Amino acid sequence: MIEVDRLVKRFGAVTAVDGLSFTVRPGHVTGFLGPNGAGKTTTMRVILGLDAPTSGTALIGQRRYDTLIRPLHQVGALLDATALHGGRTARAHVTSIAQSNGIGRSRVAEVLRLTGLEAVAGRRVSGFSLGMKQRLGLAVALLGDPPVLMFDEPAGGLDTEGIAWIRQLLKTLAADGRTVMVSSHLMSEMAQTADHLIVIGRGRLLADTPTAQLIESSTRRDVLVRSPRASELAGLLTARGATVTSEDDGALAVTGLDAPAIGDLAAEHGIAVHALVPRSASLEDAYLDLTGESVEYRAASR
Amino acid sequence: MTATPAPAPAAVPSLVVRARDVLACEWTKFASVRSTFWTLLVAVVTPPAISAFVAATITNQPASSPPVDPLLPGLLSLEYAVLSVAVLGVLAFSTEYGTGLIRTTFTAMPRRRVVLAAKAAVLGAVTLAAGEVIAFASFFIVQAVLSGHHQGVSLSRPGVPGAVLAEGVLLCVVAMLGLSLGAIIRHTAGGIAATIGLIILPGILAVLPPPWGARLGRYTLIDAAHQVTALHPATNQFSPALSLLVLLAWPALSLLAATLLITRRDA
Repeated sequence: MIEVDRLVKRFGAVTAVDGLSFTVRPGHVTGFLGPNGAGKTTTMRVILGLDAPTSGTALIGQRRYDTLIRPLHQVGALLDATALHGGRTARAHVTSIAQSNGIGRSRVAEVLRLTGLEAVAGRRVSGFSLGMKQRLGLAVALLGDPPVLMFDEPAGGLDTEGIAWIRQLLKTLAADGRTVMVSSHLMSEMAQTADHLIVIGRGRLLADTPTAQLIESSTRRDVLVRSPRASELAGLLTARGATVTSEDDGALAVTGLDAPAIGDLAAEHGIAVHALVPRSASLEDAYLDLTGESVEYRAASR
Repeated sequence: MTATPAPAPAAVPSLVVRARDVLACEWTKFASVRSTFWTLLVAVVTPPAISAFVAATITNQPASSPPVDPLLPGLLSLEYAVLSVAVLGVLAFSTEYGTGLIRTTFTAMPRRRVVLAAKAAVLGAVTLAAGEVIAFASFFIVQAVLSGHHQGVSLSRPGVPGAVLAEGVLLCVVAMLGLSLGAIIRHTAGGIAATIGLIILPGILAVLPPPWGARLGRYTLIDAAHQVTALHPATNQFSPALSLLVLLAWPALSLLAATLLITRRDA
């Protein structure tokens, strides 16, 4: 479990994290979302004891990270996959980190196999593609078989197959009962992976909610209706209590009645309907709504 | 009532085991990059290789010039290894900061001072061993050349073993200075410039009018090294014992500064 409480981090005059509180629970994949510069990486660095918080706390299993002994057994993290010494081989890199936490060679071989790097383990990492470096970072994160895992944009640089692989890996890790926190600036990526979302903007919490509920709560749910007798239909729909707005191309956007009800109503009056499309806002839209507000709020407060 | 026993907390490994683990980690890092091999090769090969020439120039001095300390050629040759060992020291931290690897290191080992200590131990042991090998190798080569002109001294002469041993310490001193400045400056080029600057620039004090040149110069790393490694120490400088303290104070103070700073800054 990761607990962040009223966390503030300032860099000079810039407030990167501004009173952030949230809890990441075991058993599901928690997406940590926000636009670039929202403070995701800074928050993760504070949790990992790399940056000192200006105020507030960040605890892992109720302990501060820098008090952990052999922390790789408790937390696995991948922040920046390119943070490697290019002259070292993949195996030497993983081995050195394993040794620092008393992890044996057999586990090193195991994580290299698990991440598909066995064949290239003897090669210097300067020749690795970004995708291979991501896999190497994951190998290091998995070394200590930790109950808590944190990944900062893990899918960056991976091809389609790699993204599917990491998605499956994250879900498997969470299904084991682990705490999995994954940051991303792409809602589409998280929509397919995360069960729970923590959305931040400008260092503040915007939403802390199950993924499904975020879509549910979105205000943009309507039915698109096309008909040669649109204005006539619009009158009938309004009479039934629906709210109807006209789109630019003459189609109707209807809220307050669902598609079957609209279809039945049109049939009752013998009105032809050419299209009847239920539209739910995508997670992306919900996300843009959220983060858009945060930007507006900021602009207004200046 | 069915009480489920709480899982036993994982045994906390002893300090000795943890120290050994961290040393093993830093040793693997040290030994698995090519720069280590090349800087050490240059450091170990250059001084003995040029010591014979340095010794020969002394034997060719006109008879009227003042006598040269028979241990000086060894030190002058060893100084050619200083640059490469300083670089080796700086790289230990600066490459980790430069690549961002330091964040992985500190995530695996959140006690940053332990990381600094482990790096210092690995680098210190290797450079001390290398320094002693170089010092003794150069000593025998230099004395072989000098004895041809009846100017050589033997290792059994009082004061000689101590001076040669002290000479071997110089590389370790320089490596520790580089390591600390690499950790403080966090940048390879800046760290190297600062380390070399601290070693060489104080030499400018020598141009001060007497007695100020010697009075201030005796605090410099190079003058202290000369005092400690001379068979006939200069009389206007600190005693060899005090000079050894000066020589060791440089890495001690720089390591102290690095120790204080390493936990205070964001990685």
